[in-house]
Amino acid sequence: MASITFENVGKVYPGGTRAIYDVSIHVEDGEFVVLVGPSGCGKSTLLRMVAGLEEVTEGKLYIGDRVVNDVPPKDRDIAMVFQNYALYPHMTVYENMAFGLRLRKMPDDEIDRRVQEAARILEIHEYLDRRPKALSGGQRQRVAMGRAIVREPAAFLMDEPLSNLDAKLRVQMRSEIGLLQERLGTTTLYVTHDQTEAMTMGDRVAVLRKISHEGESNLQQIDTPRNLYDNPDNLFVAGFIGSPSMNFVYGTIQEENGKLGVKFAGHTLSVDREAIAKRPSLSNYAGKEIVIGVRPEAFEIAQAVPNATDDQKMTVKPQLVEQLGSEAYVHFEMDSPPVITPDIQELLEDQGADEETLGSVTKFTARVNPDLAPETGQETVLVVDTSKLHYFDKDTGTAIR
Amino acid sequence: MAVATIPVRRVLSRTVLYVVALAVLALILVPLVYAVLGGFRTTGQIAERPVGLPDPWIFTNYLGTLRSPAFWRQVWNSTFIALATTLLILPLSSLAAFALARYRFRGREAIYTFFTIGLLYPVVAATLPLWLTLRDLDLLGNPWGVILPQVAFGLPLSIVILRPFFRNIPDDLEDAAIIDGCGPLRFYWHVMLPLSRPALSTISVLTIVGSWNAFLLPLLVLTRQDQWTLPLGVNNISTQYGTDTALVLAYTVLSIVPALILYAIAERHIVSGVTSGAVKG
Repeated sequence: MASITFENVGKVYPGGTRAIYDVSIHVEDGEFVVLVGPSGCGKSTLLRMVAGLEEVTEGKLYIGDRVVNDVPPKDRDIAMVFQNYALYPHMTVYENMAFGLRLRKMPDDEIDRRVQEAARILEIHEYLDRRPKALSGGQRQRVAMGRAIVREPAAFLMDEPLSNLDAKLRVQMRSEIGLLQERLGTTTLYVTHDQTEAMTMGDRVAVLRKISHEGESNLQQIDTPRNLYDNPDNLFVAGFIGSPSMNFVYGTIQEENGKLGVKFAGHTLSVDREAIAKRPSLSNYAGKEIVIGVRPEAFEIAQAVPNATDDQKMTVKPQLVEQLGSEAYVHFEMDSPPVITPDIQELLEDQGADEETLGSVTKFTARVNPDLAPETGQETVLVVDTSKLHYFDKDTGTAIR
Repeated sequence: MAVATIPVRRVLSRTVLYVVALAVLALILVPLVYAVLGGFRTTGQIAERPVGLPDPWIFTNYLGTLRSPAFWRQVWNSTFIALATTLLILPLSSLAAFALARYRFRGREAIYTFFTIGLLYPVVAATLPLWLTLRDLDLLGNPWGVILPQVAFGLPLSIVILRPFFRNIPDDLEDAAIIDGCGPLRFYWHVMLPLSRPALSTISVLTIVGSWNAFLLPLLVLTRQDQWTLPLGVNNISTQYGTDTALVLAYTVLSIVPALILYAIAERHIVSGVTSGAVKG
């Protein structure tokens, strides 16, 4: 087992296209780190660099203490799980798992021991003599995992291993992979574009994005899922992590009659001085337009919060109410131009949309108590927990702290 | 009425289908059956009553041929040349197709085009230069003088069949193999070749049968009678015993039997090999 370290790693393709710039990540021995980001953000490239399938053109890549930039894949002591499983169609499940060990000239009884052990862990014993064609997607996924496990490698590399499974199976395999990794304690680097997968599986999550201008690193932020969610470094991370995603609106912070208030789209809400004091830089922005971020769960129906004061409330007219049973989503619009920054545009692009879809108003989503959910079109009073607001510079998109 | 017309139409189209299929079948089968049965007659019987079953059945033509050392000599010569050609074409064409399919290098498409141009080049047109070259190389009167040109002329088709096949093998499979510890050659050997079995058997059968039936090249090269292949033997028999039609028929039938058996066994492979290359490519 070993750690994996990216030290100012970069990648320029022979044609001159730059895919990666200045990425530094240290994955601890035994840690599960997820690389997440929209397509084209370089997450798979980074993973393939660790595997040795892509050349590292800048910086240093370590597995353990060893620089592996020029080490061929087979000598890197890593195992990889592919999105489409990449099982050898002409070999049985057993042979698929044994193939890598055979090439390494391992004695047959040791190969057999490892394959049987992996088959036991993954519960694929009865399929050992079958060909991959005769297996379901979930079973193939397990075999692909098995092929990685038998190698007993220093690290697992997983490239969107669950994205070919249907939703239900994906959730199940998600927890299985998590448990398995915990049990084996093998360092794991996991790539996905699904932020839910990233949040639920990773000890830490690294959010990546496409390089938009010179000198910018792909790495936006790396932290534990909780910290990433609570303290996003910029609009991109804030908008990418969380589902439904964070609401953004232009607004200002100002002091009126000795009371600190946040003003946006015609609403003024009072803010706790303590919450503001935690972000000393915010004082530099007093009276200036900034971007205010509100997580959907920072809202609640007023009836559910009996001791809320009037200056924490806002009245809205829901355009759509989605009742999920466990919670309800209230969608409403506010009369304020939508927040459009390069970060937001990139997130929209990833969803296959553009700023046109935003229209000329700001769309918000609130997550509320399902028992108190209003009807569509029915005026509703919402309480905002202003201690949970996020503040961003509207030009740079960075969090104001 | 509208309901009834559909089955009528279907029956009609079925009938047409069967008629056409039977006509084609007859076209192929009639001469073959005629030859097989003719071998069981005497030449006199053929002249008197060419249709119907032989009466009585004459076995001397077949037995005589089977007892003739020259026939077996020719069977061996044909077999050797066919197998040697195939055993050379398989590794050469698959390695070339492997490089052309999986690697990017300068001039790749030009090389591939060069190979495909070979498809357009008829052996007949090459007769004279080939003969001169073989003479200079001292390969006239030598089975390798047949084998090597056959390999050369067989490579284009084999490469054209194999390259799309190799191309369609997913890149992830190659990545997985690399991580499992394969270099390019091991990947070729352990993954590519086993996965390309249908294409490889297609090429084998086409090559073997092509070589088995080859006439011009052996005629050109193989000067000594003990080197002759079956088609040369058949030709010789029919000129030497031109009047003994029954013997010629028996000899011909026996000479095509191996190719026929091979076709029958491998027919399924050939179809799947050719089409999978064509459709996906």
